[in-house]
Amino acid sequence: MRAVLNTGRNISQGIAVEHKGSPAYQAAVSVCHMNPVDLMELGIDEGEHVTLTSRAGSVVLTTRAAESMNRGEVFVPLGPYANHIISAETHATGMPDFKAEPVDVVPTDESVRTVWELMESIGGVRYDH
Amino acid sequence: MIIKDVVCPFCGCLCDDLDVEVDGQKIIKVQNGCTLAEATLTGNNRLPAPIRRTANGWEEISYDDAIRETADILCAADRPLLYGWSSTHGEAQSIGVHIAELIGAVIDNTSVVCHGPSILAIQEVGHPGCTLGQVKNRADVIVYWGCNPTEAHPRHMSRYTTFATGFFVPEAQKDRTVIVVDTRRTESAEIADEFIRIERGGDYEVLSALRAIVRGKGSILPREIAGVAREQLFRVAEICMKAKFGAIFFGLGLTMSNGKYKNVRNAIELTDELNRHTKFTISPLRGHGNVYGSNEVFTWITGYPYAVDFARGIAFYNPGETTAVDILRWGECDAALIVASDPGAHFPHAAAAHLAKIPTILIDPHRTATTPLCRLQIPCTMAGIDAEGTAYRMDGVPIRYKKLIESLYPDDADLLRRIHDRIREVQGA
Repeated sequence: MRAVLNTGRNISQGIAVEHKGSPAYQAAVSVCHMNPVDLMELGIDEGEHVTLTSRAGSVVLTTRAAESMNRGEVFVPLGPYANHIISAETHATGMPDFKAEPVDVVPTDESVRTVWELMESIGGVRYDH
Repeated sequence: MIIKDVVCPFCGCLCDDLDVEVDGQKIIKVQNGCTLAEATLTGNNRLPAPIRRTANGWEEISYDDAIRETADILCAADRPLLYGWSSTHGEAQSIGVHIAELIGAVIDNTSVVCHGPSILAIQEVGHPGCTLGQVKNRADVIVYWGCNPTEAHPRHMSRYTTFATGFFVPEAQKDRTVIVVDTRRTESAEIADEFIRIERGGDYEVLSALRAIVRGKGSILPREIAGVAREQLFRVAEICMKAKFGAIFFGLGLTMSNGKYKNVRNAIELTDELNRHTKFTISPLRGHGNVYGSNEVFTWITGYPYAVDFARGIAFYNPGETTAVDILRWGECDAALIVASDPGAHFPHAAAAHLAKIPTILIDPHRTATTPLCRLQIPCTMAGIDAEGTAYRMDGVPIRYKKLIESLYPDDADLLRRIHDRIREVQGA
């Protein structure tokens, strides 16, 4: 399914934002909010996983049904998961397209990576002492 | 011990009416605050000591070694980037600007990925704004455009708008009309008197349509504009024109969507049109606690609010060229100092990845998503918890953070002052 990715704040992201390695933070920001009809069209239930692929990369997320979403649009709270697929292009404004990234949404059996795994995939070294 | 009138450092509301109960070096209870305030003030995810990345992982080092190494890295760099600054106080921000000038660095703050485009628009057409106190006491029409204060600024509605009683609006819910404009039916939209749901990317068109109606040119409009019925826009325009005092608040729905600063410019120009009929103001809902302060401090020292480049020996500003995301995605900087922010989590990964390729130093109290990318992290106090200092609320009002508890961590202003002095020593030699 082709969709437009929107990112932004929500309460659970804000509560856990100073605990980036915590399960609560991962649970808050590795979620893909979608219209229930889009979920049905993909043939999956809420809680199953999807891979979002953009021009910048791909990432696995857990789905959540959201009546508030328009069809053809998905929402991922801001954080390292959303930013794994947001292009760094800023069109000479300094601001990336955090609310307008075209993505392909495909069901998957792959698991959601941890924040530290994501950071390792871009050259980081985890500190988990 | 209970400390009264505490300032919450989380978001740009800087609510200054919290009661915080402290037991020794621990905050045990927060009253009057929202859930974000409680999580911020009672959280405990501090890095215990400075750490340095090694070939096999990490090692703890002393503050003296960390400061010396930071100064050496910054002095050796050809194109250093100093980024962040929004979750600390003005005292630290100002030393950061002086370090940037000393080493010819680019210094940028987090407004680049929040309301930077709003600043660009304000530089084009001005800012008809006001303080939140004026809104609370006077505004009978409130417009939230492209923002969701219920989740991002949870007390904005109860302190200043929808649920707040004011001098000229004694019965908040009866006297105020609240309009929400968004692409999603958010929690904020659920409590609005009027919800305008627009198609993604349609902000500019809808703003232009409203301007046309307010100008008396509504007859040229098609039946539907970006998914919104023309009749609804006529109704909303009338509500706005009949207001005694209207206030528009806008969020990242305008600054991050296609059009970016042009969307904000159009919203400001709608405010201008409305002022031909009544009194109307417009202001951004600023995110980080002291992000507005970083714009203020940068501006009163350099003349520019963010993305300031000292490579020429004078302050130069050109968003799109001197902005942190662009400098990182081009692989342009060869060292970085990150203070009080988390680009590892909040920058596109192509930009964040460059931080792992260069010597990056992080000054932050917490283990963040930038920690794995840096070479060195130096923990410090957190402004508003174990450090006092000045912050600017989203409406530009300076408010003093209180120090609530004692801690063994150094204030980031002190750390930066020591780095600054060490750089001067190295340069002098």
